[in-house]
Amino acid sequence: MSQTESRDIQQATTSVASGQPDAKTRRYDRQLRIWAASGQAALEASRILLVSSSATSTSILKNLVLPGIGHFSILDSAITSPADAGNNFFLNARQSIGKPRAQEAVPLLRELNDAVQGEAVLKDVSELLSTEQGKDWIGSFSLVIAHNLKKDSLEQLSALLWANPNGPPLISVRSAGFLAEFHIQYHEHCVSQTHSETAPSLRITRPFPALLEWARSVDLQNMDSTDHGHLPSVVILVRAVDEWRKSHDGNLPKTPAEKKEFKSNMLAMRVKPDEENFEEAEAQAWRVWSEPAIPSDVQSLFSLPPLATSPRHNATFHALLETLAEFTKDPSGPGTLPISATLPDMKADTKSYVQLQNLYRQAAEVEKNKFKEIFAAKHPEIAKTANPDEVDTFVKNAHHLRVLRGKQLGAFDKDRDAIVNSLSMQPREAATHLALTALSALLSREAEVTVDALNTEVQAIIGEGIEFPDELDAAIGEVARAPTADLPNTAAFLGGLVAQEAIKVITEQYVPLNGYCVVDLIDSWTGIIG
Amino acid sequence: MMAAAVAVNGTASSSDWDGRYYHVDQILDRPGPRTDPSFLAGDEVKEFLREKCKILVIGAGGLGCEILANLALSGFKDIHVIDMDTIDISNLNRQFLFRPKDVGNSKAIVAAEFIMNRVPGVKVTPYFGKIQDKDEDYYMQFNLIICGLDSVEARRWINATLVNMVDPENPESLKPLIDGGTEGFKGQARVILPTVTSCYECSLDMLNKPTAFPICTIANTPRLPEHCIEWASVLEWPRVHGEKKMDTDNPEHISWLYQIALARAKEFKIEGVTYSLTQGVVKNIIPAIASTNAIIAASCCNEAFKIATSSAAYLNNYFMLIGTDSVYSYTFEHEKRQDCPVCGGESLDITVNKEWTVDRLIEVLVERQDIQVKKPSLSAPGKQIYFQAPPQLEEATRPNLEKKVSELVPDGGEITVTATTLPFNLSLRVKYI
Repeated sequence: MSQTESRDIQQATTSVASGQPDAKTRRYDRQLRIWAASGQAALEASRILLVSSSATSTSILKNLVLPGIGHFSILDSAITSPADAGNNFFLNARQSIGKPRAQEAVPLLRELNDAVQGEAVLKDVSELLSTEQGKDWIGSFSLVIAHNLKKDSLEQLSALLWANPNGPPLISVRSAGFLAEFHIQYHEHCVSQTHSETAPSLRITRPFPALLEWARSVDLQNMDSTDHGHLPSVVILVRAVDEWRKSHDGNLPKTPAEKKEFKSNMLAMRVKPDEENFEEAEAQAWRVWSEPAIPSDVQSLFSLPPLATSPRHNATFHALLETLAEFTKDPSGPGTLPISATLPDMKADTKSYVQLQNLYRQAAEVEKNKFKEIFAAKHPEIAKTANPDEVDTFVKNAHHLRVLRGKQLGAFDKDRDAIVNSLSMQPREAATHLALTALSALLSREAEVTVDALNTEVQAIIGEGIEFPDELDAAIGEVARAPTADLPNTAAFLGGLVAQEAIKVITEQYVPLNGYCVVDLIDSWTGIIG
Repeated sequence: MMAAAVAVNGTASSSDWDGRYYHVDQILDRPGPRTDPSFLAGDEVKEFLREKCKILVIGAGGLGCEILANLALSGFKDIHVIDMDTIDISNLNRQFLFRPKDVGNSKAIVAAEFIMNRVPGVKVTPYFGKIQDKDEDYYMQFNLIICGLDSVEARRWINATLVNMVDPENPESLKPLIDGGTEGFKGQARVILPTVTSCYECSLDMLNKPTAFPICTIANTPRLPEHCIEWASVLEWPRVHGEKKMDTDNPEHISWLYQIALARAKEFKIEGVTYSLTQGVVKNIIPAIASTNAIIAASCCNEAFKIATSSAAYLNNYFMLIGTDSVYSYTFEHEKRQDCPVCGGESLDITVNKEWTVDRLIEVLVERQDIQVKKPSLSAPGKQIYFQAPPQLEEATRPNLEKKVSELVPDGGEITVTATTLPFNLSLRVKYI
């Protein structure tokens, strides 16, 4: 570009407001770079119910109000105690003592973000669980989160929400001192935008026609030496595979000797010893022998047994998944997943890189249209009403799809074999989970929390004749030390962890927890169980 | 906020109320199974925490806001905070002590005021400036230091400063350093006991290598939108604006870069240049959310609480969290590096090709992930090899760039590396091959 041209642009741009984002985009900039406008829209449409306004509960809410959920309700009949005023940042210290805790917390949470609506409902959850109207209200949220709820109320809440697969997931959190755990209850959670860090296949061994044509047509011996050094590594690899197949009955290199030979054949195509594009092709050669037609994670989804209680809003995802399986079997298709339109950077000159990128885009478009044809033919009703963006997102992320199937809260504790097995396989996680489960049983009976009482409760869950690992003594002792302590740091830690999971569930981006996440802030670890 | 005003004026203990520490006291009144026998349960530990312990928080941003709130609620009452930044609208999605009306004001001052208003009896002393403004006497007054920084350079500086402060004769001179960092759904927290455990410098090679685009790609073969943006900021800005410095916080400057990058992208048929990407590339923006900061800040404060009270064992020494796929974390002991230029006490062995020029050696040093130095100056005992500044010295030593290192330094000899980005002198022991 000449100096005059750039000056023209400068003049043009100083007078016009040029691409600058609005105030909302600026405020949310650092998170939009993570979950984009689609994730933000999902957050803004969400309505979240928090059962309790403990320090842990308000910490969780803080981390959801800041990124901009649509609405929250706090359900809590508690009156602020001197202890609450001491450990909860979202109360007005001494001034809040004696006043309804949720009512005191709501304005301090709302001032974090004008765009978020919030209300306090000064009732006990058991009151709402006893009426149809109350149950409907609880079921109307996008997500329900409960902290240190009494055992019977929690069981009723969990049963209510589990009974309706279309109702909200439930995150239940328990904590005592330095120990904590939380569980997410959902029937099924499907994700296409997993934001996986593994790159999708470039289809080197299954090239689409235009790519193969390019690779075959390149005159490696006679081309200009600069162009030779700028030939994209993908084209080099496709060419090398094509030549190998011709001399090996259509097979790919398999043995270590063959792989070595393949690489040296490819490097023999160089005209200069230091061509970086060939070095890159050599480094990428693993793609030739270790890329299955369909990644095993995705393949396993094709044979997933149908769920009797699959949530209604997953119907489109499942129809798309069936379509995908069909697509890979279609004789006129590529025999693999639809190609991704995104091409990683590689050593190349602008012209050949852009050309290659366009070929990938066109191929992706062709395969997406083929996919949509199959979708319309196999699922005419769903295809008509499905959101086109959802279909595009699904196809684009076909290499990284995930389906999680969850369990009802407490199902793990009823599976004695699983519990006993986990005590030997994951002793610290199992021990912490059992100690907290025993605590909740004692507190709901208003029994005194002692080491002996906790031991008896744990025994009742795991049965006679099972030896307690040392980890269990450590966990039980710690729970007995601080059975009702909602420590500020533990509350803040859980506030962050639970909010991360809530965001993943609401945005349907990234992969949420399945089971229990157990936390020990003495040895500073987290683990997954159940 | 009447209660708060009373509290600030009153003494720390008079602002307490019965039951205020009901939760924390369950931990402080008795030991747990994993508590060290040296723990002094009851009044003694409470008195230390609430009346004597002095803690410094470096950074009042994403982590800092969270750290201040957690410390205040945990019972720390003498908290100091340093931050050189002012509040920007893009901070408000996570830095929860700030409101739109605070934009443009000092983070340290606004955060300190907010905490003192919300948590009575806590004294937060802000300093609106750089950590490098303060000397060893200043840092010596604290029992603990927590860092919530986004800059590698500042972390290296405080780490090196605290390691240098350790006097084996005086146990009080060893200041535990707790460091946190986040990016998106990921983060880490660690405890550093200067000279005793692995320090920040020991683990420098764990950092992701910053993406650097070769200048020839930017100038000749752009392929990505990022290449066009780098062209606008690295080549076009100085060419068009000369001496005028680019300010990445100035939206007009970003707009200019965006337009130039967009035009370049059009010329080369490259798609994807946006204002947001332009800003991201030139400011090296790291995505950040409230929840991840909450986890890491809580972990840092939890370690500070355990160290200050001995109520439970503390982290030895590294906690890493990845929240993108379920909740994955890894707690491990990062090993001290024997040849760490800060806490190892020895010089770093470096293998040098006999044919290398000084210029080549500088290139190699800049590339090394465990050193991370920009524009290093080199000297040998009693000899200047190459100095980047001042200009006269640079000119005088410039001819050495073309000389072979082996002509200037004997085998086994030492080279001292200094740089403005390096908070210590790095000594290298040369071995030729």
